[in-house]
Amino acid sequence: MSEKRLPLQSEDIKKIIPQRFPFLMIDRVIEASPDKVVAIKNVTVSEHFFVGHFPGQKVMPGALIIEAMAQAGIVLYRQKFDNDKVLFLSSVKVRFYNPVFPGDQLKVVVTTIKLLSKMGLFKAEAFVGEKKIAEAEIACGSQDAKTT
Amino acid sequence: MVDIRQGVLEIVSTVLEKAPGEISLDAHLVQEVGADSMMALEILAALEKKYRIVIPEEKLIEMTTVNKIIQLTEQSMKGGKKK
Repeated sequence: MSEKRLPLQSEDIKKIIPQRFPFLMIDRVIEASPDKVVAIKNVTVSEHFFVGHFPGQKVMPGALIIEAMAQAGIVLYRQKFDNDKVLFLSSVKVRFYNPVFPGDQLKVVVTTIKLLSKMGLFKAEAFVGEKKIAEAEIACGSQDAKTT
Repeated sequence: MVDIRQGVLEIVSTVLEKAPGEISLDAHLVQEVGADSMMALEILAALEKKYRIVIPEEKLIEMTTVNKIIQLTEQSMKGGKKK
């Protein structure tokens, strides 16, 4: 992976991961190595998902926190491998500790457990300030990985 | 080494979400037990952590039965520990 200047802004991130609006869940990458990636998601009141989640009580969906972790995980994988195939989730073990509200800045920290050429396993943690939001272990595989 | 056999079987059964007694040591994990390569990655990572070894990627395709995984683990342990 070629050396990139940090932080990576959204246009740099779009060169690394295939997700786009309204499904791009990381705004900035402030740290990136094959062992660790730290990404930021600024959660605004204008997020499309707040329309329905929930009317009158805006809470960021946990599924999208997992998505932010997974997207940071793709950045992590791409620090080691140049494979541009889409990565699919294969396993997610997650625990949520606190909710995320409009105005929060979500910091996602992913660290490598094991990266292979067509699949990866990593640990992910999400924080708002010092407060832990969620912790997960996520496995993903490239679309051309053999699944049997 | 009984404890390695026990440890490997424990890891495999946890990842595959099966009771240890349900997995025969020579059963093909993909064809007979219902595993796939993504589960093999989780098994590999758990073995590396538990036994402080490094298993190279090319060994993944050899991890077809519990007995083969035990052999592989023993070989890796003899081959030198992770610093």
